[in-house]
Amino acid sequence: MKCKYTGYAIIVFLVLCLTHVTPALSAEMTAYQIVKKSEDLLDQAKDSKADMHMIFVSNKGEKRERTLNLFVKRYGNNKSKSIVFFNSPADVKGTSFLVWTNEKKEDKQWLYLPALQRVRQISASGKGESFMGTELTFFDMGSQDIDDYSYNLLKEDTVKGESCYVIEATPKKVEFYSKVIVWIRTGNFIPAKADLYDTKGQYQKQGIFENVKNIKEINTPTHIEMHNVQNGRATIIDLSNIVYDSGLKEDIFTERYMTRGN
Amino acid sequence: MLFWIGLTFLEAKAFQYEGDLGKLSLAGYLEGKAIYAFDRDTPRENPSEKLGVELKASSSSWLSSKIFLQAVDDGKVIDPDNKALFNQFDRIYQDKNPYVNVNEAYLDIYTGKVDFRLGVQKFAWGRLDEINPTDNLNTMDLTEGGINDEIERKIGVPSLKINMYSDMADVELAWVPVYVPYRLPQPDERWFPKVLKPPEVIKTDTMVGNIPVNTSYQDIDLPAHTVGNSEMGVRVSKYIGGWDLSCSYFTGYDPMPLTDAPVDLTVKLLNPLALDYRINTQVTMVPEIHRMDVFGFDFTTTMSSFTVRGEYAYFKNKYYNQKIDPVLEQLVTKSRQDEIYKEFMTKYLASGGRDNVQVFHIDPHIPIQEDSMKYGLGLDYIYGDTTLSVQFIQELIPNFNADKPVYFNKNGLNTMLTFLFKQFFLQNTMEFNLRTVYEVEFQDFIIKPSLKYNFTDNLQGTIGILFISGKYDDSLFGQFKDNDEMFAKLRCSF
Repeated sequence: MKCKYTGYAIIVFLVLCLTHVTPALSAEMTAYQIVKKSEDLLDQAKDSKADMHMIFVSNKGEKRERTLNLFVKRYGNNKSKSIVFFNSPADVKGTSFLVWTNEKKEDKQWLYLPALQRVRQISASGKGESFMGTELTFFDMGSQDIDDYSYNLLKEDTVKGESCYVIEATPKKVEFYSKVIVWIRTGNFIPAKADLYDTKGQYQKQGIFENVKNIKEINTPTHIEMHNVQNGRATIIDLSNIVYDSGLKEDIFTERYMTRGN
Repeated sequence: MLFWIGLTFLEAKAFQYEGDLGKLSLAGYLEGKAIYAFDRDTPRENPSEKLGVELKASSSSWLSSKIFLQAVDDGKVIDPDNKALFNQFDRIYQDKNPYVNVNEAYLDIYTGKVDFRLGVQKFAWGRLDEINPTDNLNTMDLTEGGINDEIERKIGVPSLKINMYSDMADVELAWVPVYVPYRLPQPDERWFPKVLKPPEVIKTDTMVGNIPVNTSYQDIDLPAHTVGNSEMGVRVSKYIGGWDLSCSYFTGYDPMPLTDAPVDLTVKLLNPLALDYRINTQVTMVPEIHRMDVFGFDFTTTMSSFTVRGEYAYFKNKYYNQKIDPVLEQLVTKSRQDEIYKEFMTKYLASGGRDNVQVFHIDPHIPIQEDSMKYGLGLDYIYGDTTLSVQFIQELIPNFNADKPVYFNKNGLNTMLTFLFKQFFLQNTMEFNLRTVYEVEFQDFIIKPSLKYNFTDNLQGTIGILFISGKYDDSLFGQFKDNDEMFAKLRCSF
């Protein structure tokens, strides 16, 4: 079973945190069950689209902005296709990035750069590295198997007045993070915060998921921040014009649309 | 002038409208470039400015259009003669400054499974970087020596493209009704190919000594605008089990420069009694075009952490330029001179001694036909902000005629190794780029390191160095080996 879990930022980045309004379950839930519940709720919508405004903050406080359009389509069994179109700034305008995720196979990725006018299939390697200058990694954007982690319910806590389960997720095989501590809202199972630790066990990043909006009965955090405490940089993402289940056509997730633009 | 026009645009910033009437957007850039030539005796290149303006409009989900114009104040053009404003689609030597280039201008019509694109456009076939044997629909603007970015040197051609999509395969049909020739700088400009310059003298071991050569350049004589003279291509693509596969066919004119060099030998009898005569040579470089057929195949896939790309093309009826020096030397060997002199004397005597200056027209037929194939394999490794890419590209002429050596191919082979290293820093605001190309048979190479920095989201500066070296003066890169330079570019986007 796969779950877009340790990289919480990208839960939103590609899958838009499709968490349904759900009453808190009994306090006897195990950490695994909480994670599983949250994961099950991720695949509520069959498709989604959104506009994204990203701000890169350097360690000196300088800001760079990017605007994107994002489209996601899910097929069940953790199969999905997603495509991102970059709209600004000018030097990346027209760039598009397509990902086909398949539970049983490696993700397939294609990149279209207008300067080359060619669609290039790219290797899904280098997953620990930054995705286009953000504090998100390719690993964050990909999908992981929920069973690759063991979970421990540490405590209950509050984040900005909201009650949360605090769960420690530890990978059975350390690749990119040694552990992730995530605060999951008890009310709707949406992550509120996540602390990510690097392979040396050092605190590396903090993800913040705020401004939850109910869109078509789906609770969605629309403001996400990823702060890298080691290098002092941050990426801030604001989502708008979120639409679920609009019946996105299959051919949006093809080379045809990558070159044509959205 | 362009700078101020550009500033006006920049002040206006990108314009975008989205409403009941559809979408309209205006964007572009202003770029300034300056070079420092290490060899100060090479032709100069003044600072240049380029204003690119892109207008996109769509009135519905099935109809859109794009116009991309570039207004250029070109520092490379010396003493331009052509006063036309727009670059012309029927000339090799544009010879104008400033000018406006219609980079792309087309109309898109999208239907369910078929897309149409009509207008001036650029095609991008093949999977290799920069060098694509299967990509022959566009000719190249070689006024910067062909070392600028591929998309910049590619000339948009008026054409029709039809893309058909189905579960079976995607098919692209291209029709270019009128051949658009490549573009070259003027012979006295910085990036004029030395291989298109005949020698200043033809060496002989006869009593005539070295024969001086005068050279003139003609522009191209295009074929009649008929359907039979149009160009056509078809490319079928399919994604199968992790492999992006394509096969293609092109029939049309070779996009690379081919030049015949008809020669007028002027024989002047200086002293009939002493049989003392002189020969002068006038070589006219006449562009030729030849139709060819190209059968191609290409693929991309990923293996482990690598992207693997490959491309193959078989060229039927391809022509190559013979090396001009030995051809000219063959025209004035001792035995040829004897024949010419004999013919000269016959006419001279028949004219009663009046025809003491006679012109002999000889066409040596420089381009020769040799079928060939070109293939390449590329390997990319991307790790976060680092990209490494290597390519092996080889051209093979199976029935190479050693008695007729051609440019850029040695004994039937030309092997290129390319290397690209790209590293982003500072959250993608700084990019170091190192691009090299090495030709194995000719031992020549280009090394181009550059550093790009985004001062803001819209202001970008690049500095770099271009090193070119080669063992021979007539190899692809060796002909430009004196053109080492340092460059600086500043681009402001809006």
